[in-house]
Amino acid sequence: MNHIVCLAYVPDTETKIKIGADGKSIDESDVKWIVSPYDEYALEEAIKTKETKGGTVTVVTFGPAKADVGLRECLARGANEAVRIAADGLAQVDSLGVAKLLAAAIKPMPFDVLWLGNKGVGTDAQTLVPMLAEFLDLPHVNLVTKLEWKDGAVTCWREIEGAKEVVETPLPALIAAQKGLNEPRYASLKGIMAAKKKTIAVKTPADLGVDVAAVSGDKAAVRWTKLELPPARQAVKLIPADDPAKAAEELLRLLRDEAKVL
Amino acid sequence: MPNPLIDDRTLDFVLHDVVGLDSLLALPRFAEHDRAVCDATIDSVRRYSREVLFPAYRLLDAEPPVLREGRALVHPRLQEIWPGLRDLGLISAGRSTEIGGQQLPFLVTLAAILHVQAANCPLYSFLGLTTGAAHLIEAFGSPALKERYLAPLLEGTWTGTMALTEPQAGSSLADIETRATPSGDHYLVSGSKIFISGGDHDLTENIVHMVLARIEGAPAGVKGISLFLVPKMRPDGGRLAPNDVKVAGLIHKIGWRGLPAAALNFGEEGDCHGWLVGEPHRGLAAMFQMMNEARLVIGGSGVATASVAYQESLAYARSRPQGRPLANRDASSPQVPITEHADVRRMLLRQKAIVEGGLALLLQCARLSDLAGHGEGEAKARSQLLLDLLTPVAKSFPAEKGFEANVLAMQVHGGYGYSSEHLPEAWLRDQKLNSIHEGTTGIQGLDLLGRKVMVEKGAALRILGEEVAATCARAAKAGVDPAWIAAVGETGKKVGALTGELARRGQERGGEAMLLHSADYLDLFSSWVVAWQWLEMAAAAREALADGRTPGAFYEGKLAAAQHWIRTEMPKVDALITVCHEGEESYRTVPDEGF
Ligand SMILES: Cc1cc2nc3c(=O)[nH]c(=O)nc-3n(C[C@H](O)[C@H](O)[C@H](O)COP(=O)(O)OP(=O)(O)OC[C@H]3O[C@@H](n4cnc5c(N)ncnc54)[C@H](O)[C@@H]3O)c2cc1C
Repeated sequence: MNHIVCLAYVPDTETKIKIGADGKSIDESDVKWIVSPYDEYALEEAIKTKETKGGTVTVVTFGPAKADVGLRECLARGANEAVRIAADGLAQVDSLGVAKLLAAAIKPMPFDVLWLGNKGVGTDAQTLVPMLAEFLDLPHVNLVTKLEWKDGAVTCWREIEGAKEVVETPLPALIAAQKGLNEPRYASLKGIMAAKKKTIAVKTPADLGVDVAAVSGDKAAVRWTKLELPPARQAVKLIPADDPAKAAEELLRLLRDEAKVL
Repeated sequence: MPNPLIDDRTLDFVLHDVVGLDSLLALPRFAEHDRAVCDATIDSVRRYSREVLFPAYRLLDAEPPVLREGRALVHPRLQEIWPGLRDLGLISAGRSTEIGGQQLPFLVTLAAILHVQAANCPLYSFLGLTTGAAHLIEAFGSPALKERYLAPLLEGTWTGTMALTEPQAGSSLADIETRATPSGDHYLVSGSKIFISGGDHDLTENIVHMVLARIEGAPAGVKGISLFLVPKMRPDGGRLAPNDVKVAGLIHKIGWRGLPAAALNFGEEGDCHGWLVGEPHRGLAAMFQMMNEARLVIGGSGVATASVAYQESLAYARSRPQGRPLANRDASSPQVPITEHADVRRMLLRQKAIVEGGLALLLQCARLSDLAGHGEGEAKARSQLLLDLLTPVAKSFPAEKGFEANVLAMQVHGGYGYSSEHLPEAWLRDQKLNSIHEGTTGIQGLDLLGRKVMVEKGAALRILGEEVAATCARAAKAGVDPAWIAAVGETGKKVGALTGELARRGQERGGEAMLLHSADYLDLFSSWVVAWQWLEMAAAAREALADGRTPGAFYEGKLAAAQHWIRTEMPKVDALITVCHEGEESYRTVPDEGF
């Protein structure tokens, strides 16, 4: 069984995001980059399945050269091959553009399961999974927390509000991993050395026959016009409690006049 | 933000701008590696430590291993953790690729290990002791022993121990009494060891003890000690059979509680097989070959334990509002974070100076160890001499001053620091061990002054002087404050003069007179050596600022810590030099009944 895992190289969730000088992109100078945590669940499941059922795991990303560090980490954990669609020097590409690029790269590759994280932790748009499935004409199951393989099919447990939904899909299929599916492994030193010897195949949008100008910058269907940080948290207001009745009165006043929740 | 354990940017700065990892990668031994591999190695261990080991720390501290039916059982959480910890591959990281290792520089391995130690210091010992045991077998074992024991140890399917200490022989290994009697292709071992870390546990099916013992009829003292491999279970016709190694008890430790330390009895039933490793009566020398690396690893534990506490206290101080600036009399104004009080800033900066000064010294030593092992020509011999000189400092400074830093981390937490709801108290308990095991600080002082500065008529000290001079030149060129450069240079001259004087005192009045103040000497020597490292870091920070590297505050922080260490410690060194010079005699002359 062959697996393809699409992954995003995103700012570490611990990073304090700063907004760039243009007001609509993030300032990348102090950002630490990581493979998106949801994609790690997908990768782990693909590698685990490969280890028991044989086959290969190929990781694919759309990103700039620095994303090679993330791809190497995936190779070190046990992926066999890596492909990067070069994003260097491109204007902002939205999810639709990314889906087109990934679909073009994946189409010629044989696979049984296409894996993604349920969402990135970059823009959190959560639109890539259905769009990619549509472009590749694949059935897709998202929010998957458990799997059972059958001959030519797979049963998936999906997390839905307050319950689990169990669905079966024929293969090939696109499966999007949710937290809880597994505990991703860490790259071993041996894996890191082995990964160093592998080459990462780099493809440009032109190699894939995608007119990137039509899906990026001003032509993208979704354009970022402005980024804002959430408002800073206000300092706690302590109400002196020497006189409980007065304190209660003051609390009421604040809730009514300042917080405006009453 | 969770505790980072070791500050990422500082580690990078020390590795690349201060110690110079790239120059090591140019050596043939490390030709397969590049910076990306080194970064990826450290990064993977860092993540694992933060995400898996650190969250388990308190649990393992609260519930240490128990002894059941003669067997030490580790915490169930550690059972879950172990396969992942083992499979990271740290045990064999530095060993050659021929025997299944990764042939990484010790500098990189140690930088990675620091994260494990900071996250959960006792757990690294399961790996480190195994590395040590395997290394001894690789260096001195017979082909048959290598064939049988090396692979399972390097893969971590078995673990190793270092079994030196006996109840009557701790610092004084010359007094070891465990016996070994020849019996066919092996020896029969009998005796008792105490404090054996990892001496028993249920993580692996076998444990390989590297035991110091005396062959029947051996001469007294250190010249009669041999090294034996004594497995808990001995390979016997394709299976493992019990080898008459009994657990007499577990030590109830105040720290490092995730790791069992056992009292072991070998050969209670006269059936404990051991195999000689290396030449008869040369066991201590073999053991000491390993000791250098082990002592640096203990130094690492000191730095790591101080670092994690520093980071914790820094985050706490930033989030703790208390009081107002001295000039503010308005009681209705909001309280300020305690980082605004000068005394809290002192406690934070001093911790930083200790942690990062210790880190730089330690990683310099790791680089010297790589050069001594795999360098070429003069650099190799020179590095070995310098490493030998600095090892007692790199072992004891992080333990002693690290303890002070751990106390400060607790103090920054105020009353909360004294409660077991917060972690600083646990790290304080952990840190104390580092001044005791692998040779107490007292023993390190004797080693430094009695041996290391004296060998080859002070050759190592001369090399150190040259290194310090090179740093002063780099600092001058980078535009570091000339007063700092002068302070480090002048102190060096005084240390040199004192050493010469003590050597003469030794010749004239004997070793006792020379070594009377060995503890003070170790203290002052360490402060100066760390000042040298801070000067190097100040130079690197100035260079970075001149290059326009950011964030500026990061480099300014290095300059402030350098200033703190050099300007507040060098005067104390002066005072200690005076004490040593005068040979103050209070504790030598006080009558025993006078205590
Ligand atoms: C938690 C723990 C784990 C350990 N793990 C191991 C292990 O895995 N394997 C192992 O073999 N050992 C281990 N040890 C033992 C450790 O190495 C010894 O405790 C240490 O060497 C000191 O020996 P001692 O306890 O007998 O103290 P002593 O040697 O009795 O020392 C007591 C005091 O006297 C001082 N002193 C002793 N001799 C001199 C001297 N000649 N000059 C000046 N001062 C002196 C010491 O500095 C110390 O302050 C461990 C110990 C502990 C506490």
